[in-house]
Amino acid sequence: MARPTVRMDLGDIQGDVLRAYGNDYGSTTYAFVRIECPPEQARAWFSGLLDHVTTAEPWREGEKPVTTLNVSVTAAGLLALGVSEAVVGSFSHEFRDGMASRSQLLGDVGPSDPAAWEDGLGPGDAHVLLTINAKQPSDHQRALGKMKVALDTVGGLRIVFQEDTELLEGSREHFGYADGFAQPAIEGSSDEKARGGGVPLPKGGWRALAPGEFILGYPDEDTRVDPKRRLPRAPADPLGRSGTYMVWRKLYQDVALWRQVMRDAAALYDGGDEHKLAAKVVGRWANGAPLVKHPDVAPAAFDPKSRGGNDFRYAEDLDGMRCPVGAHIRRANPRDALGFEGHLSFRHRMIRRGMPYGKVLPEDASADDGADRGLVFASFQASISRQFEGVQVQWLNAGNIFGLGHDKDFLLGDPQGTGKMTIQGSPPFFLAPQEVFVRTRGGEYLFVPGMTALAALADGTAG
Amino acid sequence: MGSSNVTGQAYAFMAMTPVKPAEEAALADYLHRLRDRGPSPLAKLERTHFGRFLIVPDFHNDSSWKQRREEHLDMPYLIFTSNFDGDLDSYLDELCEQLAPEAKEIWGRCVGCPESAKGAALKTYLKRNQIDTGVFFAAYGDATVATVKRRLGQREQMIEFARTSQGLGAEALQQAFLERFGGTS
Amino acid sequence: MSVQASSGGPITATGTGSRNHHGQAIAITVFSTIKWWGRVFLPLLFLVTRRLPRLTRTLRKLSFIHFARWTIVTHPAYNGPPQRNGKLRYPHMYFESNFNGGWEEYIDAFSHILTSGMTAFWGSSYGFPKPLPTALFKAYIQVNETEADHYYSAYPQATSTMIQRALELDAKLAPLKLEAERMEPGAFAVAYRNFLTDVQHCL
Repeated sequence: MARPTVRMDLGDIQGDVLRAYGNDYGSTTYAFVRIECPPEQARAWFSGLLDHVTTAEPWREGEKPVTTLNVSVTAAGLLALGVSEAVVGSFSHEFRDGMASRSQLLGDVGPSDPAAWEDGLGPGDAHVLLTINAKQPSDHQRALGKMKVALDTVGGLRIVFQEDTELLEGSREHFGYADGFAQPAIEGSSDEKARGGGVPLPKGGWRALAPGEFILGYPDEDTRVDPKRRLPRAPADPLGRSGTYMVWRKLYQDVALWRQVMRDAAALYDGGDEHKLAAKVVGRWANGAPLVKHPDVAPAAFDPKSRGGNDFRYAEDLDGMRCPVGAHIRRANPRDALGFEGHLSFRHRMIRRGMPYGKVLPEDASADDGADRGLVFASFQASISRQFEGVQVQWLNAGNIFGLGHDKDFLLGDPQGTGKMTIQGSPPFFLAPQEVFVRTRGGEYLFVPGMTALAALADGTAG
Repeated sequence: MGSSNVTGQAYAFMAMTPVKPAEEAALADYLHRLRDRGPSPLAKLERTHFGRFLIVPDFHNDSSWKQRREEHLDMPYLIFTSNFDGDLDSYLDELCEQLAPEAKEIWGRCVGCPESAKGAALKTYLKRNQIDTGVFFAAYGDATVATVKRRLGQREQMIEFARTSQGLGAEALQQAFLERFGGTS
Repeated sequence: MSVQASSGGPITATGTGSRNHHGQAIAITVFSTIKWWGRVFLPLLFLVTRRLPRLTRTLRKLSFIHFARWTIVTHPAYNGPPQRNGKLRYPHMYFESNFNGGWEEYIDAFSHILTSGMTAFWGSSYGFPKPLPTALFKAYIQVNETEADHYYSAYPQATSTMIQRALELDAKLAPLKLEAERMEPGAFAVAYRNFLTDVQHCL
C-alpha cells in the first residue's frame, strides 16, 4: 500500500467518521439533549462526557469497547454552551440556519414539511446529540442508563428526542436493499477503498479523496490545485480543526406502499419482473450487486465488502441501458457518469453512517401496519451546502444535470405525485405513479468537534 | 449595430442609461415591486426569451488589485438586457408601445429620456444608448419563444402518452397516437 | 460561505440573491475592469470565438446555459447633463448568463471544466485570480457580481437542457406523425417502439 501523503491526527478526531465502527455494533441510540440550565452548568455535564468519547485512534485486537460515544452540537447548542455569537458566526451559514429553515430548498415539503416533524427536531430545541453505539443489548441499556444518570445529576438537561436503532439482518434497509457499504476513499485513512470509493480517473483507475473534503483543518480538493495550498474555510480555532459537519435526518419509509406500487407497475414491465424493476429504481439488486455490472440477473451471491465489490463506473453505460440514468445510487454518487473527467461530481461525496430503525414489515404483509420504520440518515462532510445539499437539491430532487427534466429520484418520491422514472431500454419503460415513499420526520445540522475542540467547549475557552 | 448581436435568429440587446441621481432608490424600488401584482411586464413582449433590469451603482474598486487608478461612474447606470427573437427595430417598436406605462417609471428616471417615454422618441433614446455585444452564446438560437413553448408542451404530451400507452395493443396504440398527435403541429 | 451579495440583497439557499431567480432560471451579472492589454486582446478573443464554434463546444456540452454574453463597455452614450461626457478611463467587461442549477455548481463547473476559457475571458480583468482554486474564483465573482433588480424568463419552469431535448424530440417525432396514419397498426407499433427508443433521453 502506498505511503499516505497526509498524516492525520487520529487522536484528535472523533471516531466513526473516518472509519466506521462496523457491524459489530448492532444498535445505535441517537439522543438529542436540550440545555435548559446556565452555560456553566451545561459545560460541567459536557466535561463529564469527554472521557467517554471515542476517537479515531485504531483499536488493537481485543480492545474494542463494548459501547462507543460521540458528541455533536447544533448552532443553538453552541450558544447554549456559552460560545460567543462571534465565534458561532464563523460556522457555515447553512449550519446556523438549521435544516428546518431550509426545507423549501431541500424538498421537505408536503408530508415532509417541518410542520409535521416529530417533537424536538427542527425549531432549535436540540442542542447536543449523543450517539451511542453498542455491541450487545445489555451494554446498550447500561450506557443509556449512565447517560440518563449524568443528565439528571446535573439538572436542567432534557432529552427532547431519542431514536433507538438496530441493524437489520443482512445489513439491509427497509425496502430490502443491502446498504451503507459504499463509502468515499480518504487519503491517509482509507486509501484501500480507492477502487470504487475514490475519484474515477479518466484512463481507468481511481484515487482517494483529499481528507479536507471530510475533516476540517486538512487540505481539500481545492488545496490540491492551489499554488499557495490554502486550507478550506473552517470555524474559528480551536473549534474548527479536526471537526466536521454532520447531517442527521429521520426518514420514514412507506414499505407497504413501495411494494404495492412496484408490484402494480411490474405488471407491464418485462414479463412482470418486480425484483428487476425495483432494482432498476435503486441501481442495485437487493443483495447489493450493482446493476451496471449485473444488468439482467442478480448474482447468486454478492459480498459488497469484497475487494472490488464497489469497483464499478458508468462510462460504458452512459445511455443507462444497464443501470438507469436516474437510478438512486447513480444519482447519489454519479462516479464518472457526468463526464468532464468527474469534475462535476468529485466534490460532492459524503461519509454515511446511518442506521435503519423500526421493525421489519414481514414479506407477506399485504398492507401497512401503521408502525414507524425507516432510516436514520447520518452523513459527515466538510461542507453541508456543497456536499449534502448539493446532492439532495441537484441530484436527488432534480433531474436536469442528468438530462432527466424534472424527474426526481423515484425511490424518495414526489410530493405532487405526478412524477415518473424512465427505465432506459429498447424500448424504454416509464414507471409511475411516483408516490411519496420516503417522508422526512425530522432532522438537524450539527457539528462534530475534534477532541481539543470538545475540551475547549467544556472549559468555556472556545471563545 | 453589428452581427455580433445575433446568434441564429436571436438578438442580444443591451441599453445602458444614466440614472438621475436622486431617482436611484425610487427606481430600484419600482423594479423590485414589478412582480408584486402579476407577471413581469416583459411578458407583454412575447418575443422575449430572457430580460433583466439592473442598476449598477458604481464600478468595483479594490485596493488589493494592481489597478493604478480608481474608476468611478459619475452616477448609477441602469442596464437593460434582452434576448429576443428577430429584428431589433420591430422589437423596440413593440417595447415602446406595450411597455409605455412602465417605461415612464423606468427610463423616465434616466437622464436624457424623452418626456413622454414612449413611441419613436423612446426608441431613439434606447438605440442611442445601445451597446453592441462582443460574444453572444445561445444554446438554441434558432428557436423562437413560440417554438420553444410549443416544443415544451409537446414534450409534456409525449411523456404522458408514452406512460399511459404502455401495454396497449397495436391498434389501440395507433389510434391513441393519432388522436393526440395527428395532424400538423 | 456566508457572504452578502454586492447589491446587499440576501443570499438565498441556492447561493445567489433571490431577485436573480425566475422559476428554474438563474441570472448572473458580472462587471469587471479591464487592464490595458485587454483593450486589444478581448476584441480579438471575441472575434475568434464568434468565428470558431468549436471554442464554445464545451460550454454547449455543459448544457445548463440558455443564453450568455460578453460585452465591452468603453464609452457610454452621452445624454446631456448631469452625465459626464467622455470615454471611460478603463474598458469594462459586462458578462451575463441565464442558466439552471445552482450558483455554486455553475461557478464550480466553469472553474474546473472551462479553466482555459475562464482565463481567456477574465485573465485581463483586474483582481482576477486563477480559475482554480475554486474558493478564490467564487469570492472574486461574488465581489464583482450585481444582483438583478428584475429578472424575467418566458418559460421559467423549463431548463435549457429540456428545451434542447424538446427540440430534438420534435425533429424525430415529425416524420412519425407524417407516416402514422398511413401505416398498418403492426408496422406502426414497431415504428413507434423504435422512435421511443430513439428519443427516450428527451423525455
